[in-house]
Amino acid sequence: MIEKMARVEIIGLKKHLSRLIPLLHTSGYLQIDDIREMPDVMLQQFSPTAQMKEDREEVDLLIANINGLIESFSLNQKGQIETEPETKNEEDSVYSIKENVADITAQVQYINMRKKTLQDELISHSKYIEILKIISPFIPESSKDSGNATIRALVHSSQTRTMALLANQLKLLTHGKFEMITAKVGDETNAIIGIFPLELVSQVEGFMKNEKVGQLVLPEEYAYLSTEEALQHIEKKVELNHEELKKNDESMSRLAKKWLPSLKLWQLICKDKVDEIEVYLKIGETDFTFTIFGWVPSDDIQMLEIILKKEFSEEISLNVIGVPKELKSLIPVKLKNLEIVEPFEHFVKMRATPNYSDIDPSVLVAIFMPIFFGMMAGDVGYGIVMLLIAFLINKKVKEGLLSDIVKFLRLGAIWTIVFGILFGEYFGNLGEKLGIPPLWMSRSEPDSIFPLITMAIAVGVSHILLGLLIGSWNAFIHKNNNHLLERVGMFVGLVGLLFLVGSLTNYLPDAFRIIGWAVLAIGLIALAVSLGKSGVFLGPIEFVGLIGSILSYLRIAALGLASVFLAKVANDIGGMIPSVVAGLLISVLIHALNIVMGILSPTIQSLRLQYVEFFQRFYTGGQSPYEPFKKRVSKKLKI
Amino acid sequence: MENAIIAVAAAFSIGITAIATSIAQRAIGSAGVGALAEKPELVGSIIILVAIPETLVILGFAVAAIMLMG
Repeated sequence: MIEKMARVEIIGLKKHLSRLIPLLHTSGYLQIDDIREMPDVMLQQFSPTAQMKEDREEVDLLIANINGLIESFSLNQKGQIETEPETKNEEDSVYSIKENVADITAQVQYINMRKKTLQDELISHSKYIEILKIISPFIPESSKDSGNATIRALVHSSQTRTMALLANQLKLLTHGKFEMITAKVGDETNAIIGIFPLELVSQVEGFMKNEKVGQLVLPEEYAYLSTEEALQHIEKKVELNHEELKKNDESMSRLAKKWLPSLKLWQLICKDKVDEIEVYLKIGETDFTFTIFGWVPSDDIQMLEIILKKEFSEEISLNVIGVPKELKSLIPVKLKNLEIVEPFEHFVKMRATPNYSDIDPSVLVAIFMPIFFGMMAGDVGYGIVMLLIAFLINKKVKEGLLSDIVKFLRLGAIWTIVFGILFGEYFGNLGEKLGIPPLWMSRSEPDSIFPLITMAIAVGVSHILLGLLIGSWNAFIHKNNNHLLERVGMFVGLVGLLFLVGSLTNYLPDAFRIIGWAVLAIGLIALAVSLGKSGVFLGPIEFVGLIGSILSYLRIAALGLASVFLAKVANDIGGMIPSVVAGLLISVLIHALNIVMGILSPTIQSLRLQYVEFFQRFYTGGQSPYEPFKKRVSKKLKI
Repeated sequence: MENAIIAVAAAFSIGITAIATSIAQRAIGSAGVGALAEKPELVGSIIILVAIPETLVILGFAVAAIMLMG
């Protein structure tokens, strides 16, 4: 049902605002209207102070930092940590959050910088190892002499000739003490190793530089080591770097584990703070006073009054004011239903939030959607499996659309079992083979097609007649005569058609034939009149559309038949295979496929029957939902 | 022979309407997914739009059932 809302104004001195806003935010009863959008209010909008603007910028920056940290931790964890925000601590003020965030940011930055350095080192060191490993087999023994130095280079094979000329020049430069070895290390690459006395290093290197020969220059700490020693040291260094990287990641994980829940909580607290700052812009002010307009569920007004009186005694006044005609369409809508109906509220809202003055269809959807689902799926075995699936998912998912679907599936599964008993279906025709008879009809029998179709049509007629009744009531409440006439016309016409069909099929006495024609004619005339000048043409078209909507309920029979025959196929194929294990496996696989389809298809189709066929008769919706000024992170008020 | 013709006619009745439905749903579905990416709140309307052409195949089923029962 739709909860009754009251329009209120809160008036007081501006000096109390700084205490009032957090109080209203914590209490969470009031939906605050924006003063700029109120057609019946002539008040100046509150002007935020410079401090407020500064606070807002500070919190925005803080949120950006927190988002960055959360992203960084989430990337690092790759979904390993499932965290929920912790409950709010008293000390979680924006100031303390800022300090903590700065501290965590510094730690994360250090870890990331170190990680980057290590990764860069690993890339360069891996390259050195690769090259040194290629070169090392060709290094002569003379390079190991402590008085000798080595230069190494990898050159393209086309440059080898040039290198030989350079080697000759180096021999001249070093008075014949330069030894060069060339080795082919790849299809197009040659390794060049030069050995010469250590005292000639600067001369040789200077020469190489002048000739623009790119030699392999190792980092300083390995530069004066022999190739083998350098290789050993670099390999050791790479190993150490890997270990440090691992430790680095572990530190990041520890940090994420420690701070991610808090960061998520702080993110919400900061967003709450932004809301608190932004709400000032919705308030009206004079030189010394403020006025807040808003909506409170009628049942909660007393509680809000008590809260305000306790904090401000008589200094702030809360008044319930009338709702002008132009604001009727702006009344926020709060749905209040039994817990079992709540998941279906979301299905209704997915279509549109109901209008304040309309009937909340959540209860009707909660009744019909699972029944239609059960009619389509209708199998005891499948129902039990669906219940198990719903139970298992429900253990993991507690909130959101999936949770609502699971709650619906639970009810749908119960109706699946009920209709399964009526149709005598236990994993298809397995019950029949075991001698369990249907209480009503077996859908797999050819004779049952007619009763099945009749059932679907009867369900459609009843559902649509109910929709038309609600639509007529809504039109009556809204004093919309045209809509009232249209829906009553359709209702009467449909009843007339039922009389006619009943008498033509000998279910009703012949007298109903004339009554049926008469009632149908009255209904069509009413429908045509409601549609205005073009009603003569549009009236019958609309009525045919109504018949089309009823025929649409045949999907209940069609999906049911598809499901039962697929189940029958699963059992028959299983039975045809000589190996019991293989037969059972194939049978289970086809049943599993049928169950998955049996969950998806009936859910969509039963939802469609609500949205398209049923809602079309009475539902418009589109009003705004009730969104109170409420903290994301709740802190209980002591009243 | 007559039964065979009726069965083939019933199969065509379902098959052709199913193809028609799928063609319509292909276009509506792809546009709907695009719209949902922009405005997730349209999910209710999209479900309706995608589901509307299904009436075609349901009517095909009705015709097939009438043929088979007749």
